[in-house]
Amino acid sequence: MTWRLIPYRSYNAFQNMAIDEAIFRETLRNKRTPTLRFFGWRPAAVSIGYFQDAQKEIHADGCRSAGVDLVRRITGGKAVYHRDEVTYSLAAGSREGLFPDDIVRTYEMISSCLARGLAELGICASLAETGRKAGRAPCCFSEPAGKELVVDGRKICGSAQIRSHGGFLQHGSLLMTFDPAATASLIRSPSPPEQLRDRVVGLNELIPVPVSAERLCEALRKGFCDGLGVDFAPGELTQEEWALGARLAKKYESAAWTLERKKEGFPAG
Amino acid sequence: MKVFPEDLLYSREHVWVRVDGDMATLGITDYAQESLGEILSVEFPEIDTYVERDEAFGSIESTKAVVDLIASVSGTIVGVNEDINDDIGIVNSDPHDTGWLVVIEMDDMEQLDDLLDAAGYHDYILQQEAD
Repeated sequence: MTWRLIPYRSYNAFQNMAIDEAIFRETLRNKRTPTLRFFGWRPAAVSIGYFQDAQKEIHADGCRSAGVDLVRRITGGKAVYHRDEVTYSLAAGSREGLFPDDIVRTYEMISSCLARGLAELGICASLAETGRKAGRAPCCFSEPAGKELVVDGRKICGSAQIRSHGGFLQHGSLLMTFDPAATASLIRSPSPPEQLRDRVVGLNELIPVPVSAERLCEALRKGFCDGLGVDFAPGELTQEEWALGARLAKKYESAAWTLERKKEGFPAG
Repeated sequence: MKVFPEDLLYSREHVWVRVDGDMATLGITDYAQESLGEILSVEFPEIDTYVERDEAFGSIESTKAVVDLIASVSGTIVGVNEDINDDIGIVNSDPHDTGWLVVIEMDDMEQLDDLLDAAGYHDYILQQEAD
């Protein structure tokens, strides 16, 4: 079994979220095999979960003055500051037999693949057994959710998911390095930077020789191959995905979507 | 194994439907709420919105995922459960009754023929879990 792999490349926040949504919508529409994608963020950005209140939970002025984009995801979860990281996304359609029809078990399966990938780099990550409570900190990395990856109790990867028509899109951030002061200046976290530092770790802080994003992606690809028993063939976005992505990028760029979650006038799911 | 009320119809998207004339009340099944875990928010459509069968009419947020709510029938939204805004917990605790989500005025009753009865939905879940 061979799935598509979209190799690592950096885009801005709006393009990244538009591409992920376009891949997901086209996967559902065409019942195509799953796609694994790796990407970076340029410029740096804060993404917020679908249901989050940007005004209450983000220092919007801080983002503006730091040149950090702000984007609302279609997936759940909390805010993430994307700077020095590799983001993975996995989109799968309905009846994709490998994945369970269950949020937590899907998390568990994907986290296991990520852990296998990190093990390739000599990092021993484990799955957090219990999750954070509802309504807690607005920052994704403040606390691990159930089945997310931790190293010695410190969160190393934050993920979020949307399910629709039996399929899912899950994306998540693997931090290369973590900047608690910048995170606290952009996301209204009740945890001070010192506390964030105790709870979160970047992978290059755990290994003697820092790895590049490309090396991490290769390790993660192997983790997904071994964990799922599938091969990945490097591929490109289709013309339809590029076209839908271009239209969706306008939604992600709009204040109506980012601040008020309004989606009128943009392509529907 | 869960017991699903006999007087409801069920979609493969884990939405139940209670029919009263041309009015259909929709909610998520007990199976769905358990799979979602603690539900944090529900996004409702606006009254008078027209929804197409098999299209999303809203979404629901649990601790780590957003899940689209898929309409089991086409029609016009004529009611949403405002009580959920005061107590989101009823979607988890009483999904088949007080935790209902929306009422749709149907324009094609024949779409109901494609839904499952309680026994059919029960079998569907068993099959899903076996896959």
